[in-house]
Amino acid sequence: MASGTDIPQTDSLPPPITERGIVGWVYANLFNSWYNTVLTFIFAAILVLTLWFGLGWIILESDWRVIATLGGNLIIGQYNIEKACPGQDCFWRPQVSLLLVSALLGMAWAISGDRVAKRIAIGVAVVSVAFAFLPYSLERMGLDVRLLLVANLPAVAAGWALARYTPLGSVRWIVILGVLAFLVTLVLLRGLPGVPGLQPVSVIYWGGLMLNLLLAVTGIALSLPIGIALALGRRSHLPVVKLLCVVFIEVFRGVPLITLLFMSQVLVPLAFPEDFPTNSLFRAGVVITLFSSAYMAENIRGGLQALHPGQAEAARALGLPGWQTTMLISMPQAIRNVIPAIVGQFISLFKDTTLVYIIGMLDVLEFGRAFIQGNVAEYLDGTPEFLLFIALVFWVFCYTMSYVSRRVEEHLGVGQR
Amino acid sequence: MITVFKWIFPAGLIIALSLAIIGCESGDTEAMQSEINDRDAMIAELEAEVKKMTEEMAAMPDPSGSMMMEETGSRLQTVQDRGKLVCASRNDVPGYGFLDDTGNNVGFDIDLCRAVAAAVLGDADAFEIRLISAAERGPTIQSGEVDLLVRTVTWTTSRDSQWGNYTQTMFYDGQGFLVRKDLGVSSALDLQGASVCVTQGTTTELNLQDFSNQNDLNIETLTFEDTDAVVAAYQSQQCDAFTNDRSQLAAISSGFEDRDAHVILPETISEEPLGPVVPHGDEQWYDIVKAVMAILIYSEAYSVTSDSVPSAATGDTKVDRLFGLEGSFGQDTLGLSQTVAQDVVGAVGNYGEIYNRNLGPGGINLPREGGRNALWADAGCMDCPRGGQIYSAPLR
Amino acid sequence: MSRAPGSFLTGLAYYQGVPVWRHALIIQWALQIVSGIVVVVLVASFFANITNAIQDRNIPHGFGFLSREYQTPIGQHFLPYESSDSYLYAFGVAATNTIIVSIVGVILATALGIVVGVARISGNWLVSRTALVYVEFFRNVPLLVQLFFWFYIVLTLPPVRQGYVIVDKLYVNNAGISVPWPSPPSWDAALVWMAIALVSIIAGAVLHRILTRREELTGRPSYPLITGGATTVVAAAIGWLIISAASGNAPFGISVPAPHGTFGRIAGGFTISGGLMALLTGLVIYTSSFIAEIVRAGIQSVGRGQTEAARSLGLAPMAALRHITFPQALRVIIPPLISQCLNLTKNSSLAAAIGYADLTNVGKTMTQIAPAVSIYILLMVAYLAMSLTYSLIGNLYNRRIRLVGN
Repeated sequence: MASGTDIPQTDSLPPPITERGIVGWVYANLFNSWYNTVLTFIFAAILVLTLWFGLGWIILESDWRVIATLGGNLIIGQYNIEKACPGQDCFWRPQVSLLLVSALLGMAWAISGDRVAKRIAIGVAVVSVAFAFLPYSLERMGLDVRLLLVANLPAVAAGWALARYTPLGSVRWIVILGVLAFLVTLVLLRGLPGVPGLQPVSVIYWGGLMLNLLLAVTGIALSLPIGIALALGRRSHLPVVKLLCVVFIEVFRGVPLITLLFMSQVLVPLAFPEDFPTNSLFRAGVVITLFSSAYMAENIRGGLQALHPGQAEAARALGLPGWQTTMLISMPQAIRNVIPAIVGQFISLFKDTTLVYIIGMLDVLEFGRAFIQGNVAEYLDGTPEFLLFIALVFWVFCYTMSYVSRRVEEHLGVGQR
Repeated sequence: MITVFKWIFPAGLIIALSLAIIGCESGDTEAMQSEINDRDAMIAELEAEVKKMTEEMAAMPDPSGSMMMEETGSRLQTVQDRGKLVCASRNDVPGYGFLDDTGNNVGFDIDLCRAVAAAVLGDADAFEIRLISAAERGPTIQSGEVDLLVRTVTWTTSRDSQWGNYTQTMFYDGQGFLVRKDLGVSSALDLQGASVCVTQGTTTELNLQDFSNQNDLNIETLTFEDTDAVVAAYQSQQCDAFTNDRSQLAAISSGFEDRDAHVILPETISEEPLGPVVPHGDEQWYDIVKAVMAILIYSEAYSVTSDSVPSAATGDTKVDRLFGLEGSFGQDTLGLSQTVAQDVVGAVGNYGEIYNRNLGPGGINLPREGGRNALWADAGCMDCPRGGQIYSAPLR
Repeated sequence: MSRAPGSFLTGLAYYQGVPVWRHALIIQWALQIVSGIVVVVLVASFFANITNAIQDRNIPHGFGFLSREYQTPIGQHFLPYESSDSYLYAFGVAATNTIIVSIVGVILATALGIVVGVARISGNWLVSRTALVYVEFFRNVPLLVQLFFWFYIVLTLPPVRQGYVIVDKLYVNNAGISVPWPSPPSWDAALVWMAIALVSIIAGAVLHRILTRREELTGRPSYPLITGGATTVVAAAIGWLIISAASGNAPFGISVPAPHGTFGRIAGGFTISGGLMALLTGLVIYTSSFIAEIVRAGIQSVGRGQTEAARSLGLAPMAALRHITFPQALRVIIPPLISQCLNLTKNSSLAAAIGYADLTNVGKTMTQIAPAVSIYILLMVAYLAMSLTYSLIGNLYNRRIRLVGN
């Protein structure tokens, strides 16, 4: 044997410390070049300072009396005041809607099997149950209403079981049941004349977070289809259709929502006779939806525009008719490409619902602000805390939306191919 | 993705329809079931409605203003048919219109609305508050959508001619300035070159400018939409002074931790008579609201409170006439019941009670005795005037 | 093809040999015309109803007030303003306030948005996480709340009499930041000089372009940037000297801010008011969080193969991003980006809440005297004009960069 070929048999060396474990991760992700090192230190300093002062203020100085006093009114506004619901407690009606939402979330969890759906469903149920045991609730709400809140937990379970063990467990049924739940919610909140226990409650008493959510859900559900139609119309080769869509989009995109809302309350009623039944909430909903649709149309148009024409051409070559090409080939891809923009618009829409304060509606932000201003002597100092609380509430909802959108994106492999 | 996508259209359509139904206050659902297409379901709905309306209007023999007036009938009739009085008011002013701990609308203005509701409907709770912004006040009362505007509206000649009819001044206010004592300012005339915070959409802005121009003060203004921002700006000294109605200044500054470090300057730079406004064009309604305000004022003058509303003749002719127990002062000719004052005072109390509850010790604690908002005189003793300006046409 | 003479009427029913009720072109046009007429009629009757109602119910309207004196102060204004100016002019002053916020805001928000968007896909874990937190926080909280937040932050600055003074020229306090600013002794001379400066800039730009082309064509170094820049500076300087000599003083002096009067309010120079600071900060940060997501989505919408190909050609990561990925991403980025710029402009209408005299704020004040309906119509028209201008610029740019044949 030639000794030259003899390689000493030793164990292979472990990778250097800079390549493995926590140190390796830190090195690769934080300090892999001089500018990354600098950036890391700068950002770390900013984070530490923010946390230091933020937490210091929250722990030492903050005063949450406004929220403790208003409690459930922030969620349902004036819905259960004596004037809205003379002679009875209407608190249970929004609670039943919440139960429906919980059940739907349970179904969504069972169908998608995704951890996000699971967390949302359980989160909603847990928050509802926890709300039933707050000092505010113990003081102001009857046992029945608190039981309804606790019932959210079984509702999620029921929804989950329904989707898992019955044929209702499909996307189609969730959409159908979702629309039904929305209708039931509207009827419940509005009430039915003549039905005992369901006496009508005028929409002027709808308020709080409930109002924001109602306006947002309606707007989201309607603005996407209207937006798709407008986007297609704007790309249409039919000049009249195109012109109408362009005018609609540009006008609604071109003016601030608050002026539109104002006009919807001041000018639009003038187009109807004096004794025509008017409903400010309905008009506000229409305006918010149309406003959002115009934006949606532009987002979708952006997605369509980024598609390679080869996609549509290939579909046409396969013999698909025009509308099928659009709806089955172009549109899904276009929407996939602009999911962040679309969800961003949904989030915008939800936040824009706070602008209804312009027309005197008591959404969650305005309810608190009006209360603070009307009782300025006692509660003025609580304004920053109240604003922080509102920020947190909106953040939770909007972040959930954007988190779901990111999961959907991952699911669809955006950026991976 | 595609499965969900397919369902967006039908789902949206159903929701649109349901909204249309909900949107109809009086259940006029058929009219709303107009043709709805995918593209812009909502717009089509709205416009179909408009079209229908246009056709109807065209079919009318003479769609002139006077015809419409006769057709819609008197406002009293409208209100009684509706079973509800609609008042435009606000919810963010301490004492006048604000939200209590449980979210109810309360305040001086709200109580005036309740008094009118008690008078025309016999039920002080048969009212609805439409919350409106300052900019909406004019159009709202002009369009006649609401029966009464009680939203701390200052009576001015231009508003009286353009917006609606002012009924009766129920509170005399005036604009003043709040400043920090350490500025060493003792008069509003010392505010040369100062920066002054002001709330938008009120006559305060205009008065401030007039005051500044007349006295050559060259005041800078910072205009904010709402009170919370104005107060924050004033407290952190972004501006040197804060101008508003004096009652508001007193109410707001009473909550300051360092109340003693602030002072309201002696000058009152404007007259701010506040009171309810009714839409133009219905004199009966105008008279009714004036009569209700008179009832409130005179029941205080006669020392009748909500607890002591007489149900049988007391022997005091004036009181008996006011409460419809013997003769009347003309309630019946207004279309009200003879005993309307019993309903009103029994439900909301007299002027003094309303004042004390909201603006006095029970509310923002504005002093009343000896001030402009005291009664002019006790009815019982015409020779011992109280010196206030709260006065109404004698009941006779 | 010949037809029997009697079938003229039947002939009418055919177009290009196809029955009209089945001819695609004719159906399309018929439908379009019908829908067009329906929409026009509906919209027209809607407005006709409103006009009638306004007259019937005696609601004040019309625009006669525009020429009257406004008689109300405007907080911060960039154009000179006296309270004796007319409503129309006051409206213009307020519109300028909005336009300035919008232009400055759009530029800053786009820049910040691109930085954050790129940071979102950075290799540095801490940077990308921080960018994520930034985006997720600021885009998920209503702008109105954020504006209040920044408003309260600005209020934590010291009041004007205890404010920071930097070398006697720069004043920082909660009423605003005042800086020295050029101010002309007389506007005539200043305008003449500004015209000269404009001409010099154009001359410089033209020269720059000519020299660039020469450099590209011939390969000889021609120093376009230096030559063009020098031309501009020299021409403007000569103009300055001539005007100074002719009129006796320089076209622009420097106005230095200084405390003024008993209340120590800062006068002179240029002041960015507290409201403007809060408004700009709020709008820029809010909008940039959206733009960041748009930028990220745009970059990710470009196929991975593009980046990989660029990297294998030896381009550095940043260079690959700049020259390969980003230009392609622009196609996805531009339309929503225009939307965001429009958003920013319109969102500036919330300024009333924090005390900046923007168009809506002043408009609302005007409703005290002027008819509210007219004011809001003017507001809508003004915002629409601004938005359409943005849209137009954006769409022109969009047309330039979009895929051919799409």
